[in-house]
Amino acid sequence: MKTKLALRFAGIGLLLATIPLIAHHSFYAEFDADKPIKVTGAVTKVEWENPHAWFYVDVRDESGKVTNWGFELGSPNILLRAGWARSTLKIGDVVTVEASRAKNGANIANAKGVVLNRTGQKLFTGSSQGTTP
Amino acid sequence: MKSIAAAAAGLLIFAAPAFAQWAKVPDPSLPRTRDGKPNLAAPAPKAQDGKPDLSGMWTQELDPNGMPPGITTVESITGFVPPRYFVDITAGMKPEDAAMTPWAADLFSQRRAGRGKNDPAAHCKPHGVPAISVAPLPYKIVQTPKLVLILYEGESVFRQIFLDSRRPVEDPQPRFLGYSTGKWDGDTLVVDTIGLTDKTWLDALGHPHSDALHLTERFRRSTVGNLEIEVTINDPKAYVKPLKYTLKASLVPDEDLLEYFCAENEKDVQHYQ
Repeated sequence: MKTKLALRFAGIGLLLATIPLIAHHSFYAEFDADKPIKVTGAVTKVEWENPHAWFYVDVRDESGKVTNWGFELGSPNILLRAGWARSTLKIGDVVTVEASRAKNGANIANAKGVVLNRTGQKLFTGSSQGTTP
Repeated sequence: MKSIAAAAAGLLIFAAPAFAQWAKVPDPSLPRTRDGKPNLAAPAPKAQDGKPDLSGMWTQELDPNGMPPGITTVESITGFVPPRYFVDITAGMKPEDAAMTPWAADLFSQRRAGRGKNDPAAHCKPHGVPAISVAPLPYKIVQTPKLVLILYEGESVFRQIFLDSRRPVEDPQPRFLGYSTGKWDGDTLVVDTIGLTDKTWLDALGHPHSDALHLTERFRRSTVGNLEIEVTINDPKAYVKPLKYTLKASLVPDEDLLEYFCAENEKDVQHYQ
């Protein structure tokens, strides 16, 4: 039983190369791959719904100002099959997110990579980046 | 032997991590190897009427070379690999075999310029056939002697293929999944579809088709685990010659469909530029 669970989390790295992604939208019409962002902050909300799961993070800048960022993941259907659960990200979890910002300047971005700081675990995001050209 | 295999399968399921409800239920009709795993190389099963049985949950094979050259791909730690033909149905075709008419070529370049933002699928409409067979969500075939149902997880839509020798619909109201009839040719189910709305794109790049498209899909299950669909796009308004390509799908054993409704929490359209 223990071995199976360990394999499951270790296997997420292996799954990265094989899991396909839903692209209900065109990534390039909405996000800019040349506008990367990397932030760390606490999760304030998780929306576990189709077509894309979203999670929101409070990011504090040097002056102490807090901005709430929204990050888009793939479909929960894809995330579930890649080893996520609805409860993988909890409110209060500190995460480090790498993402591509929205073209229109909104505080949203398409997540490329998410690290759960508490465990160091890298979470597959199911990003549509690199799909619909 | 059968009960040992079933017991072994049961043990494997209980040891697996928690998943969505009903998503992992062992299929008693699947042949299994000694360790309880589905025997995907076994010969394709037969239905009660003696025809090959296409029933099962299927997903399109992935293509490591799926991004066309010249398209920017971001160095991504997600390791995305698209399903084969999801991005470009003409991948692997000689240019002369994929030639478009002036009407189609013009429409295609408009769509490319828009970077996919006007793809109906980007606005929560269903993909349409045959694109839905290569969307990265599985589909379930349920075969009965006179009716084959295909339940697509993408947009939770259903498709009916009538095997009762009915005549094709005349002057069909165009729709996303068209009107399909089928008949057996030996071990191959030949499906003809007309009445497809020209709203849908044949792939993510935006290859067009007209509403006069006559689509043929030849379904052949070679083993328990493999299904091939030979697609022919017959649409002289859009393509100089019929386009042919073969989809290869793998069985997704012991799992079931999840629900997918794009309208549930769609938030992207407002940001499209």
